[in-house]
Amino acid sequence: MTDFEIGKGKTIGLYAAVLGVVYLAIGVIEVFGGAGDAIPGDLFGGFALVVIAATFLNGVKRSFDGEHIGLSFIIGGLFLAAVFGILYLLLMGADGLMFLLGEAEEFSVVADFRPAIWLFLLVLPLAYLARELTKEVTW
Amino acid sequence: MSDVFGEDPEVILAERRYNAIAKIMESAVRKKESKWTFTDMLDHVFLHKALGIPIFLALLWAVFQFTFAFSEPFMVMVEMFFGWLGGFAADGIANPQLASFVADGICGGLGSVLVFVPPIFMLFLALAILEDSGYLSRAAFVMDRVMYKLGLHGRSFIPMISGFGCNIPAIMATRSIENEKDRMITILVNPLISCGARLPVYVLIGGALFGAAAGSAVFAMYVLGIALAILMALIFRKTLFKGKPAPFVLELPRYMMPKAKTALLHMWERGKQFLKRAGTIIFVVVILLWFLSVYPWAATNGGEIIENSYVAGLGKAIQPIFAPFGWDWTTTVAIIFGFLAKEVVVATYGLLLGVGEESVGDALVSMGLFTPLTGFAFMAFVLIYVPCVATIGAIWRETNSWKWPVFTMVYLTVLAFIVSGLIIGIGRLLGFT
Repeated sequence: MTDFEIGKGKTIGLYAAVLGVVYLAIGVIEVFGGAGDAIPGDLFGGFALVVIAATFLNGVKRSFDGEHIGLSFIIGGLFLAAVFGILYLLLMGADGLMFLLGEAEEFSVVADFRPAIWLFLLVLPLAYLARELTKEVTW
Repeated sequence: MSDVFGEDPEVILAERRYNAIAKIMESAVRKKESKWTFTDMLDHVFLHKALGIPIFLALLWAVFQFTFAFSEPFMVMVEMFFGWLGGFAADGIANPQLASFVADGICGGLGSVLVFVPPIFMLFLALAILEDSGYLSRAAFVMDRVMYKLGLHGRSFIPMISGFGCNIPAIMATRSIENEKDRMITILVNPLISCGARLPVYVLIGGALFGAAAGSAVFAMYVLGIALAILMALIFRKTLFKGKPAPFVLELPRYMMPKAKTALLHMWERGKQFLKRAGTIIFVVVILLWFLSVYPWAATNGGEIIENSYVAGLGKAIQPIFAPFGWDWTTTVAIIFGFLAKEVVVATYGLLLGVGEESVGDALVSMGLFTPLTGFAFMAFVLIYVPCVATIGAIWRETNSWKWPVFTMVYLTVLAFIVSGLIIGIGRLLGFT
């Protein structure tokens, strides 16, 4: 017996798999020194993205099977993606403030728009799908 | 009980207690039907055997990245304020000795410590959010697995986490550990956990020397502290306090969405301790340091030639001990006075570098006091060497003996020299200067 509809599990599992692979690729690139301005090198930031990737990927198979543990890992990954997306958004704000205070020579939104932020935006539709499956769940 | 049931009495009692609670809940509470809860779901992830520790490390890094990078502009604002206040006092006070006291002593010394109010409050806010969400006790549970395998007591990790705020309540919290050997080990290793007072030193040196990687440098210090605490606990378990650790029973609260008001209150409760210290012990030490740095008044030309001051004499006399690390006499003075309170390390630089327009961090770089390698070794030294005098007092009270505070001071000082020496030695082998 499955915990939720297999079809929904497959959709959510497939989305998580794609996100997991993207997070993993970008995380590894960051750990190994980055690639241009779009993906700057960031050892620990890259490590965090790899951890998010591992969390998403851990839930893929069981989501396909309709097991709630699969969904658990996807929700865990969503939480982590939100934490790091919001963290880098705050850091972007801090950089802007430093520029306004005259402590930074330039402030480039493009350079500060780190992968953790745009990946977080890509995660939002998955969050919506996961929310649909967990409407009845309490804390 | 152990003989009859074949298990530890504490575990059996906890199990029976929860069975009784579950039965009462079943008959008394009517719940909305759901197959599983978010708490169960998140625990699959955050307590996962393989993922639990990497997730904990990633979140800990996020905390320090937030602490350092997000507080930077607020630190600049406080720095600007004290810079303005110092200039105003220097221009407006006719008596040169009083002007020096207000501008250099209070604004330069105490001001350089108060600049770190934003990162300290940010750290406590982040920790409060983790605590209120229910995650922090999961971190203790996750670490218990590692610690128990090493022969340590899992409950030791809770006072360690409290040590992020201040080592004194963390040492007092060890009273909850019933086994005397487990308790002693936890007390002895607790000073290795970076308290809030060390954060200003990390932020100052990290910010000055490591640029964009400053948050990671601060994070590295916290991880180094935890790793050393576990290593030393293991050594103590194998030597001074032989035996098996008692089992660890920990009640995990359900996850909750942290409330802004509660998190801010927790932040304030912990952060105000720093403000209290700034107004009492740090203030007194700053006055003492200012006196030693401008007198004899004639020889220092009213504090202009600090090389001729009493404090310079003291620093230069002891500096040869630290010469192999590449640290000068100002750093020696910072280490000596840091024993009274770790924040004083920062105040010492604020006073001795006599900075005006530029920040203390910029002055450290422009005067060439540190390279990234020697600066990192210094951060490690401040993390490890003798804890502040108040922590030593707490160890004395909790162990009811002078033997253990003295032992703590000696072993930590030796360890600080070994670790800093290793950082410098390995760094030089790798080609760093």
